[in-house]
Amino acid sequence: MSVVAHLPRRALTLAEEESASPPAMELTGRRKIADGDRALAATIFDEFHADPRYREFVLGCLNCGECTTGCPAARFYDFSPREMLQIAANGDATTLWDALQEKIWACCQCYTCNMRCRFGNDIAGIISVMRELSVIHGLESTRRTLAPFGRSLTLLMTVGTQVSSDMIQPDFFRDWGPFATGSDKVWQVSPEVMRKAIPVDVLQTTRSAWEVSVQTSLELFRIYEETGVLDMLRGLDPDLTEMLVDIVEERREEFAEARERFAADLAGQRGTVATFTG
Amino acid sequence: MRTLLSAGEIRKVVEERTLHQKGTGKRVVDVREEMERLEERGEILIHRIRPENRPVTATTLFGWTKRIPTDRLWHHKSCGQCGNIPGYPSSLLWLMNETGRTYLNEPHQTSCTAWNYHGTATSNPVALAAVAARNFHRAYETDHFPLIHCGTSYGDYKEMRKLLVENGAVREKVRSILRKMGRDLVLPEEIVHYSEWVHAMTPELIARQKHDVRGIVATVHEPCHYYKMVPEDAVYDERVYSGQRPAVPSGILMALGATVADYSTWYDCCGFGFRHILSEREFSRSFANLRKIRPMVEEAHADVAITSDTGCVTTLDKSQWIGKAHGLSYMLPVLADVQFAALALGAHPYKIVQVHWHSAPTEDLLTKMGIDWRTAKAEFQEYLRALKNGARPELLHPAHGEIEQFFAINKGQVLPDEARSAPSDPSIAGEEGGRD
Repeated sequence: MSVVAHLPRRALTLAEEESASPPAMELTGRRKIADGDRALAATIFDEFHADPRYREFVLGCLNCGECTTGCPAARFYDFSPREMLQIAANGDATTLWDALQEKIWACCQCYTCNMRCRFGNDIAGIISVMRELSVIHGLESTRRTLAPFGRSLTLLMTVGTQVSSDMIQPDFFRDWGPFATGSDKVWQVSPEVMRKAIPVDVLQTTRSAWEVSVQTSLELFRIYEETGVLDMLRGLDPDLTEMLVDIVEERREEFAEARERFAADLAGQRGTVATFTG
Repeated sequence: MRTLLSAGEIRKVVEERTLHQKGTGKRVVDVREEMERLEERGEILIHRIRPENRPVTATTLFGWTKRIPTDRLWHHKSCGQCGNIPGYPSSLLWLMNETGRTYLNEPHQTSCTAWNYHGTATSNPVALAAVAARNFHRAYETDHFPLIHCGTSYGDYKEMRKLLVENGAVREKVRSILRKMGRDLVLPEEIVHYSEWVHAMTPELIARQKHDVRGIVATVHEPCHYYKMVPEDAVYDERVYSGQRPAVPSGILMALGATVADYSTWYDCCGFGFRHILSEREFSRSFANLRKIRPMVEEAHADVAITSDTGCVTTLDKSQWIGKAHGLSYMLPVLADVQFAALALGAHPYKIVQVHWHSAPTEDLLTKMGIDWRTAKAEFQEYLRALKNGARPELLHPAHGEIEQFFAINKGQVLPDEARSAPSDPSIAGEEGGRD
């Protein structure tokens, strides 16, 4: 295998891979793949190369290393955007599978590598494609990596904001110090009163970043249903997904009841208010 | 292992790259031109900047002209700002009130959801494009031009606008989803970051300056997603770093009279990492302290770090406290540009700028800016006591009604023309505020 990254070539079959001579360049240490994972690794490899973004994001590589010298994650992890690009361009099913287990999650998605790459590769983008595949196929390593995100995913799927002030709990954010989390100790009032002291009404909530109207949140959930995001999440965490569906069903009922309650105010309204039913 | 390429190999790679770029048509194009063609064909609507938006012209990295609307704006809030650094949006709204700019700040907006995408990948480009288009259409139907508060939302929306322009299949899919909710595919003429509004408003802002900040040394952290995603569209100005770095947020600091000091790692990210800041903060805090805060303090002797994005303020500010465990006791104040500008223009440091949500103390900085923080803090404590006892909160704009908790309408909110003449004290709407 040349160190020059050529444009996408035919992928080796797993049999060919094993019979081939050792590669000139070790990409990820070429770990063994468990027998039970071989078929899935091959499927993911095929899907990765078939993704329409692949041709757009992976353009070539001179191995100049500019991407890695500017990479924040490379300073603290066994991670290199150059390696990720080489895996994308020249890797086989085994090296891709290996990268999906841990390395892809080191990337900060800051796009510094993209900005520095003289080939115009979208390295952050191709890592996102790898991540999407690991989520779609519900890899065990991905489940472990994303396990702490249940709360933020719930918020994101139901109201469309990533964080809320009541997520900043002292037990979990102890490293942020007392001022970020300790309003009751520092200011002698509850977190709810601290939010009331923000001079913007939609921010005066602890349960979301801002208050999101029910219609807006239901429109968002419709997008998740229509674009396969809900199915993606179901593959990763079916229990969480069912809980989200239940929450949204309740909100749909709430929305229908509100339409009756505010019927007089809504009379004569046009546009999305008149047509959207949840 | 070979590490050197022959001249022939290099030539071959370059030829392949050239062929690929020609074959795929991959070159940097101005999507605004293609938007015009799509609108002519009836494929999209363009949300145009109109005279009532009072646009100001700026220049981008590629020398393209970008029109920055300064009035009649639709606030696209940032989930990170609103969640844990709320003085960020409140300072921006306060500056708009001070300069008589009108706006809508609604509950009918979602985040861009790109924090989640870049952190967990539990989404996809079609969903991101549909989320962007839903928010774009909401701004369009209110006849207010979207102003994006977050660097990542700004970068993501530029990517999504490009995707929707260049990819007919995605466009068709998103359009079909929008139609199910009574919406249409609208793309804004410009994707505008709030710091670009600050840049455009700089003359008006410095005309209202109350505190002398010439003694302040500021270091700027440039948010990656402002200028590393779709970089051709970021605003540059020859008066700021000779046009070699983005004009925002350095420009407003220079105009206010602060010294903007350089440091060796200005190009580095902050360490936010999207996933890392929530579930692997040992990385975020190591990077923030060692690669950003330490050089800012030891090389530039900064009084304050200024940035213009949600994640960057969060990471640089909140990562410092734990640094004491490793002997890093810098506690450099970290503010958004709008917070610093609002302070310089006389905003209340607690009621408006909400400095108490920040981990690194700001009192020394406030003193150096000539702000009597002790009196302000006592006022704020009194205000908290009043709120605790049931007083109605002071608001920057009239409150929304109950019906708006359910439906995307503006039945209860005062519209811009009324807001322009409403409060006698433009900084605070007064005792009339509060949710119904």
